[in-house]
Amino acid sequence: MELNVYTPKLAKIVQAKDEVVGTRAIKTFRTEFANGARFDYRCGQCAMLSVFGKGEAMISISSSPLIRDYLQFSILRTGRVTAALHDMEVGDLIGVRGPYGNGFPIDEWRGKNLVFIGGGIGLAPLWSVVQTALLRKSEFGTLSLIYGARTSRDLVFKDELADLKSQMPVHLSIDVAEPDWKEFVGFVPTNVLEKKPSPANTIAITCGPPIMIKFVIKNLKDLKFEDDQIYTTVENKMKCGIGKCGRCNIGFHYVCKDGPVYSWAELKKLPQEY
Amino acid sequence: MEKTLAKKSFSQWVKKLSSWSVYIPRKDEEGRWNYAEADSGGVSLDVLQTTLPPKKILFPQREVFLEFAKTLAGNRETLEIKEVLPEVKPTVIIGARPCEARAAWMLDEVFGGDFKDAYYWRRRDQTALVGFACTIPPSENCFCTSVEGSPHSEEGLDILLTDLGDRYYVQSMTAKGEKLISAAKELFEEPKPEARKQVKAAHAESEKKIQRQLKDARPIAEKLKGMFDSPLWDEESMSCLRCGICTYLCPSCHCFDISDEVDNPSPLRGQRVRTWDTCQFPDFTMHSSGHNPRPDKASRLRQRLLHKFQYFIQVYDKFMCVGCGRCITLCPVGIDIIKVLDKVRDHGA
Repeated sequence: MELNVYTPKLAKIVQAKDEVVGTRAIKTFRTEFANGARFDYRCGQCAMLSVFGKGEAMISISSSPLIRDYLQFSILRTGRVTAALHDMEVGDLIGVRGPYGNGFPIDEWRGKNLVFIGGGIGLAPLWSVVQTALLRKSEFGTLSLIYGARTSRDLVFKDELADLKSQMPVHLSIDVAEPDWKEFVGFVPTNVLEKKPSPANTIAITCGPPIMIKFVIKNLKDLKFEDDQIYTTVENKMKCGIGKCGRCNIGFHYVCKDGPVYSWAELKKLPQEY
Repeated sequence: MEKTLAKKSFSQWVKKLSSWSVYIPRKDEEGRWNYAEADSGGVSLDVLQTTLPPKKILFPQREVFLEFAKTLAGNRETLEIKEVLPEVKPTVIIGARPCEARAAWMLDEVFGGDFKDAYYWRRRDQTALVGFACTIPPSENCFCTSVEGSPHSEEGLDILLTDLGDRYYVQSMTAKGEKLISAAKELFEEPKPEARKQVKAAHAESEKKIQRQLKDARPIAEKLKGMFDSPLWDEESMSCLRCGICTYLCPSCHCFDISDEVDNPSPLRGQRVRTWDTCQFPDFTMHSSGHNPRPDKASRLRQRLLHKFQYFIQVYDKFMCVGCGRCITLCPVGIDIIKVLDKVRDHGA
């Protein structure tokens, strides 16, 4: 039978972890394919997840492609499919098709310093690169992370961030002060100006809410980062994932196929449609 | 391959195609012309334009992608997924207009490429298009000659028929077309030398009958690149009712939705379906957060026009408009793609 790109592979949820509970809930899932199917992907690529009876949603893969045992997805409960995913438990079956999109050009970044700048759930797509860069640490210069969320309870990967601090500088922030908070208080773009990453031989990789990305880029420019030293990953509503259904385009680019990863040099040439 | 076919033999030819599904324009109960299977009667070959283009035969308005079902055996729940690819027998669309065939030639690009769309190609590979050169008067809004087409264009067609009075001139461009002819080869004759001249004259005449024109479509495509933020889109979209008819009835529009339909919630049974969708609906691009990259009518009209007259050209070097004029004729508030693009061309001039 011919290859049918729309048919998902069945995958079993093998781990479901609460990252944030209550409003703006975030859960991290790990899945394994039911029949040991292969799924080769690159950092920054996405997968279309199915909850049968509810529909599909495009989610970035937050695990490293170097880890072959599972795929990891961190998901904000926000729409019908993501709410249904949050209600699922270990052992439940979902559908996975993909991977989709271009991914981060990390091989081009060999020998460079990498600074990751994330906001809220926007750390999820960066996490795949962070993990991969740590596994290939000798290939890169210094690694660092600037990450923030609205409140301390909205931070994802809290346990992993504590461990990460022993491996690279991690600068956290929250938007509004809290009694026991010892790190930066303020928005992520402000923390970028505060921590002043040097542009020398450095690539900045950012993801978060559109408004955060906009000001992070502005501030990186102020810190003398060139357009081709700044990378981001864009999100738009998607149905097919393969450049046919017509919704995720930014100008003539389909984010699902031509994106979601863009350097600022590329993205600034496209219209503001994201 | 070039032949002639006496008009009185035409219905015999169609009868000989009994192993094919034959679609021909037919009047429905509400008086609208639409493509339907030929054996249903009331067909006509003199209809210039059906309400719905034959796009629906290659790309149905609703089609099932897969079926899903959960079954409970003891306390073990299993989930079954069954892919539903269409089983299509050889199909021929008779009476397609050259513009509608050009639309198929555009859809082939969309559904091809790196990710082949199996549902589309299952149908497309089995389907032949037999078109008629538009020697009858065009519609008041036909403008195919402005977008690199013509009333006798061949792209997407397997056979082009031209009316020469008592006979058709038959041009077969593909192996599929030759197969259709060989199904009744005794009916087809070698063309007489003057027939070729008559065809040329008929084609030239058909082009003269086109009443509307969009001048400089390629330069407009270039100019659009600088007009994303123009106030023009606001002005031109003011009267839009967001009904989406311009896209649903367009031969080349292909935007779609994929959604799950549940027949039985417990144990779960249902299907995943693809349905036509339109860039003219507000929730088409709305994120679940509520953020919408195309939040207003202006940005959605701009998307429709730029997709057809800029983006598609950037990617495939073709317009994604065949100039059939349906979107102009059927728009309830009179939004006229030619007039809007005229303004683009003349903008700042």
